[in-house]
Amino acid sequence: MTAQLLLQGLAIGVVNGILYVLTALGLTLIYGILHIVNFAHGEVFMLGAMGVYYLYVIGKIPLVVALALIVLLAMVSGLLVERAFFRRLRGQWLQLVVASVGISLIVQSLSWIVFGAQEKHVPSILPGVVEWAGVRMPRERLLAAAVSLLLVAGLYWFVQRTRTGLAMRAIEEDEETARMLGVDADRVAALAVGLGFVLAALGGAFVAPIYSLNPGMGLEAIIMCFIIVIIGGLGSITGTLLAGLLIGVLQSVGAIALGSEAAQVLVFVAMIAVLVLRPAGLLGKA
Amino acid sequence: MSKVKGILFAAGLALASLAAPVAAQKAFPIANLSPLSGPAAAFGIGVNRGIELAAEDIGTFSIGADRFKVELRQYDTVLDPAKTVAALNRAVLNDSVRYGFILGAGVHAPILPIIRQNGFFDIFMGAAGRTVTNPDNPTVFRFMSSSDQLYHTFTAALYQKLNVKRVAFLGPNDDLGRSDARTLREIVSSQMKGQVEFVGEEFFPRGEKDFQPALLRILAQKPDAIDTDASPTGTIALIAKQARELGYQGYFFSSTAVLEAKPIVDIAGKGADNIIAYRVWAKPPTPLYQEIAERHQKKYNEAALGTVWESYAATRWVVEAIQKAGTFDTKKVAAVLEGMTFDKHPFGPASWGAEKAYGIRRQIQTPIPASIIRNGQWETLDVRQSTFE
Repeated sequence: MTAQLLLQGLAIGVVNGILYVLTALGLTLIYGILHIVNFAHGEVFMLGAMGVYYLYVIGKIPLVVALALIVLLAMVSGLLVERAFFRRLRGQWLQLVVASVGISLIVQSLSWIVFGAQEKHVPSILPGVVEWAGVRMPRERLLAAAVSLLLVAGLYWFVQRTRTGLAMRAIEEDEETARMLGVDADRVAALAVGLGFVLAALGGAFVAPIYSLNPGMGLEAIIMCFIIVIIGGLGSITGTLLAGLLIGVLQSVGAIALGSEAAQVLVFVAMIAVLVLRPAGLLGKA
Repeated sequence: MSKVKGILFAAGLALASLAAPVAAQKAFPIANLSPLSGPAAAFGIGVNRGIELAAEDIGTFSIGADRFKVELRQYDTVLDPAKTVAALNRAVLNDSVRYGFILGAGVHAPILPIIRQNGFFDIFMGAAGRTVTNPDNPTVFRFMSSSDQLYHTFTAALYQKLNVKRVAFLGPNDDLGRSDARTLREIVSSQMKGQVEFVGEEFFPRGEKDFQPALLRILAQKPDAIDTDASPTGTIALIAKQARELGYQGYFFSSTAVLEAKPIVDIAGKGADNIIAYRVWAKPPTPLYQEIAERHQKKYNEAALGTVWESYAATRWVVEAIQKAGTFDTKKVAAVLEGMTFDKHPFGPASWGAEKAYGIRRQIQTPIPASIIRNGQWETLDVRQSTFE
């Protein structure tokens, strides 16, 4: 492996890792507050990507307006799902899993009917490639990663520095005590689900110009999200960021060194190793 | 009172006469055992649509005194062998279906005993060669080109024409991908020894959207051509787009995958140039092809999916064979179909062949094009074709 190839692999790994993180953060945020593994998260990711296609490409709505609409719709959907399902089933782990799997299957089946099976694409928003020291990186990926990183930083600030963020952390730590101290746990939980949906939808929206779209694309995303949040530690923002970068780099450098199939195995080996050595994840709380 | 009875009697007679033709029309169920969800769903949905369009054109047909209408029965296999076994058992044992499309060579190994035991008529939509098409499986007819058929027909001549010296393979990590890589390796080592070198192969899970890591390893070997066989349109377009972003300027070959022309250019943009596909028509080969393309667009509001053409032709051809045999007995129909030619295939005249390669006439033979994308448009690639007998 030449140094330049390694550099190229590292660059691809870091950028891909950041793109994974945005969607995975939504999953970890919801789990942190509600202790719900939201299997429908991948469908929200897919709907975010489809939203860009239908609003921006078909509807010719300016991209910024389309993104704002997607954020709004995702937030409203999150609030509705929390109110209709998650709140009623709080504390019933198995029922919640079944409900979220059910929502995922319904959304995916309807999406094949509504969106059709033909692959869709969003034209490149920032075409071209940046080349530096022999390392090539598509501009659109760099832009998506930069915006994602800003959003991750914003989320971190929100959770660490605002009163609502404090309430979220309090609920995550001990919901009953938080309630006794006057925290409106239902409102905070609804907001967390809404935010989680927004992050997943934006994750989908940002990769829309990079990949092709189909109603099955959420499945791939959710698997990667699960791996990342398990490695990073469910509920940990910094852990998710770290795990995303680790997975991205493992995939790309592993593929160069050992082949892409072996790199996939490597990702699962890393996950199992973390589960065995640090069951709560790299930065998760036991 | 008698007047009322008379009116009721007449009304009854009228209703009976109206109901009579409906009652005489029976369903001829054709199963579609294909992925209808998941990453390969576009293949299965295309088969559904091909059957539906053919059923519209067939209308009703007669066997003896009875009239039949094609009825589509869908079984989602998700391209998973275990689910395909369950689906075929359900179709055969619960629903008494005897004819059906089964998509994917990779799902066939565990279902072949069920097919043989029940004499199920398998309208096979898959690429891998002799493992499925052989004398042990007389009711399995492959209605699309096989990998080895396409590789043998085009590869040597095209590599020579385009001056390809180093070729790599990038395909899905299932039976089809591995089988295609093996076939390509064998052809390169047997037919092009000393002229072309097979420099590497990488496999990915179906549904993958990021190929940059795999491409990095392949591009380090400096290939002139990457064979992206066994993948659907979106995947090939993404591979092309991402390879160009990494600086690759060579060719892409796709033989067995059923590609749709427009989306591949839409996704890969300028990067789609120099994608070569063996089953894409730069221009409609027949008026029927054009007609189906237009009907598909109107009925489903999108461009025809790649499996529509063959599933349309297969449905019509099988029904013709049943009518000619005068029975639904699958073995008798197979014997009749084997000797038939067919002029309603959207690609042109169709017949059965490849007996030398497979030991049985169960491989469809139709005109096959080779096309290349240049300036975002498919162009016919003029190349000498070898025969596959």
